[in-house]
Amino acid sequence: MNREATRQPGGAAIARSAIGAAVALALLGAGSAGAAPLQEGGSAVRNGNIGYVLTHKVWSVYETEGAKTECPQGFNDGPREQFKQMYGDGKKRSIVETALKREGKQWHPSTTPEPFKFKEAQGNTSYGLNLDGKVGPNDFTSPDGEKGIDNQLYRVIGCIGNYRTMGTINHFEQLFMRSYNDARVVIELSGVDDLVNDNDVTVHFYRGGDQLLQDATGEGFIPGGTQNIDVRWGKQFISQTKGKIVDGVLTTEPIDTIRIPWVSTFGTSAYHVFRGLRLNLKVSETGAEGLIAGYADIDAFIHQLNTSWSTHHQSYGQLSSPSEYRAMRRLADGYPDPKTGENTAISSSVSVKFVQVFVQHPEDQVITAKK
Amino acid sequence: MRLRRMIRGLLGATLLAGVAVVAQAAPQGEFWQSKDSTDKEAYLKVPMPPGVQVVDTELEGPVFATAEGKTLYTWPLSGLRSGQAGDRRNSGEATCDDTVYTETTGFMSPYPGGFTLPELDKRKSCEQVWPPLLAPADAKPVGKWTIAKRTNGQTQWAYDGYPVYTSDRDREKGDVLGGSNAVVGGERGVVRRPIGPPADVPPELAIQPMRTGHMLLDHKGYSVYSSDADEPGKSNCVDKCLEDWIPVLAPQTAKVSGEWSVIERTSGVKQWAYRGKALYTHAQDQRGRSMEGSDVPGWRNVFTQRALLPPAEFTVQDSHLGQVLADANGKTLYTYQCNDDAKDQQSCDSPDSPQVYRMAICGNFDPKVCQETFPYVPAKPGATADSPLWTVISIDPNTGHLAEAGQPGAMQVWAYRERPVYTHGGDKQPGDAEGDNFGEFNGARNGFRAYWLRDDFHGNSLGRSATDRR
Repeated sequence: MNREATRQPGGAAIARSAIGAAVALALLGAGSAGAAPLQEGGSAVRNGNIGYVLTHKVWSVYETEGAKTECPQGFNDGPREQFKQMYGDGKKRSIVETALKREGKQWHPSTTPEPFKFKEAQGNTSYGLNLDGKVGPNDFTSPDGEKGIDNQLYRVIGCIGNYRTMGTINHFEQLFMRSYNDARVVIELSGVDDLVNDNDVTVHFYRGGDQLLQDATGEGFIPGGTQNIDVRWGKQFISQTKGKIVDGVLTTEPIDTIRIPWVSTFGTSAYHVFRGLRLNLKVSETGAEGLIAGYADIDAFIHQLNTSWSTHHQSYGQLSSPSEYRAMRRLADGYPDPKTGENTAISSSVSVKFVQVFVQHPEDQVITAKK
Repeated sequence: MRLRRMIRGLLGATLLAGVAVVAQAAPQGEFWQSKDSTDKEAYLKVPMPPGVQVVDTELEGPVFATAEGKTLYTWPLSGLRSGQAGDRRNSGEATCDDTVYTETTGFMSPYPGGFTLPELDKRKSCEQVWPPLLAPADAKPVGKWTIAKRTNGQTQWAYDGYPVYTSDRDREKGDVLGGSNAVVGGERGVVRRPIGPPADVPPELAIQPMRTGHMLLDHKGYSVYSSDADEPGKSNCVDKCLEDWIPVLAPQTAKVSGEWSVIERTSGVKQWAYRGKALYTHAQDQRGRSMEGSDVPGWRNVFTQRALLPPAEFTVQDSHLGQVLADANGKTLYTYQCNDDAKDQQSCDSPDSPQVYRMAICGNFDPKVCQETFPYVPAKPGATADSPLWTVISIDPNTGHLAEAGQPGAMQVWAYRERPVYTHGGDKQPGDAEGDNFGEFNGARNGFRAYWLRDDFHGNSLGRSATDRR
């Protein structure tokens, strides 16, 4: 059953005590993402509300040993390799004919053919969700056997080193997401009667404003922290949808359009735009884990990539943004442009982990201060 | 082209949004000081060579200048991705000489060096762009001023171990157009910085040059605030107030000096005051250089001096990180940054620079596309601003260079520090800042950065150095 979320006037006090306990545990090296929530009263669900903050996220890429199955032709070339292929013949050239020409294409990508072969991920196995409710010829089957998986972005990025487990974009997107509060993604479930089975809950997306509670290993995160919701600068990141919990797994209805903060490096503050985004998360009192899936808006995707991960950075992992753009356009499978009929978005999936937090809304802060 | 289609599609919405914003207030005094204000940063008198003077400037505060008033700069050695450029401290040698460089160095990854630089027929040598401050053959070191050797055997003044130069961009006394300590940011080239005497601040405090002024920080980098509720020479922040506001304590030996005074809170507990106002830090500030304390009514960040008001038609808009300066329609303003990849690291960010760098980024070399992705900000004929940093210049939009008098198609546009400012075609609504970080190295090396006035998430470091984070 769903009730409109009731905020906890005493949230700040609870959170403060939780932080104190969490910090104490962290200092003792006893904290971990699997620890019990650190708060008074036993349950992390208060007045039907429970919050989570994002601590891990990677684009879902199905990887086999040595990439032999999905990338039998090897990985794609990046900016350095492509540059050498075009201009490595020793002829005298100008910066306008070479580096600036490549940057021009970087910032104004097109679908016109290029002299490079793009290596799409092969096979029919991928992580993701069935976004369109159909089983089509281009769909994948998940590793646990579910058919109809829509994740054409995997075809694009599966053989780009940057996006794979050891890829730099994966590493740095994690690092900067954890480091900077403008990349803080918070979800809050309200109307929760039971975290195992509840047929009607409301899910809000917010940008948080606080640091994560990191454990002594530096890799784990402790439940029970506080996230103040950024309603001043972060209005554009607020979204809402409905969902249900079945056997501890939260699934939601799609959100038509949502912006999710997505920072890759210092001095930048970008986001991704998803269409038809939904959650599939195993939820508990300490955290949530699973998939965020939807159709990534292609223009926004490339804009995020270029404005937060420069050509130099893209070179680390053989990521050619103009080549990736072409592949995304070629494999786009959602949200056709009403005028041209051309698909503007591509199915995608993000593997995520959240840790439980107490969500502090501005009205709670006022009430707490008055008290 | 996708970006162009997107921009065209947004134009209608943008115009509609603009109508709603026109009524917004012009820039407020929150970020700037009145042109009638006498606030300026005091400095410590230090020994200087004959002919060198100190000149007060709006953005940089007090700077060293020649007898003619030309601002002095240094070029500290700094690392780039694949090499380094600049003068090595205390080496006694100046590397900026009469060489006219013709090729790229490859210092900036991922592109290798050895490519021909643009417009070589117009390219100047390093010393033409940065004339050295020559020292007499019999010059003797004075204070932090020493002597460096030039490659041609001449002697040159050095300050703090770095050879000193003027800029060919500066024309009048107080011009600081060659470089800035306030407008830096990210992985630019190795830039020149104006130099000046140390600010007159107690050792417990420090000055942070920012785009809107010189902000006062404590020695840990946290912002310093004052309260409207305090009286001159007296703090009224007691009891509950002290839970959120921490007095900046002064040592027992602290004395009144210039604009600095000491308030005795209780017996033996002294607090610094500046211009008569007691100073505090904000207990809730999570990051250095914060402006969040100024959201509390009656509290404000403390600046030794602030820039003067920008054009009255401009607006301040809330964005996703804080606040930006915007045009009359609420569209975020952008500055363009550019340094080339030659060994002498010349800037390419002004209308007299080669425009191919900017054109590559904004339009894939097509000036028409540039005018859609990053259009100039038109100015009304005869428009002026309180701040001399803002001027109206005449631009040929097809070349990006300054227009000749009476040239058909020329535009009158707003410029900041004599460089045009832009809006971004991809911004739909007031406060959108989609054009931020657009260009090489996230817009720092050859690209566009939003004109941030306040950034609550990166310690007001956007538009500042990437390594200068707290």
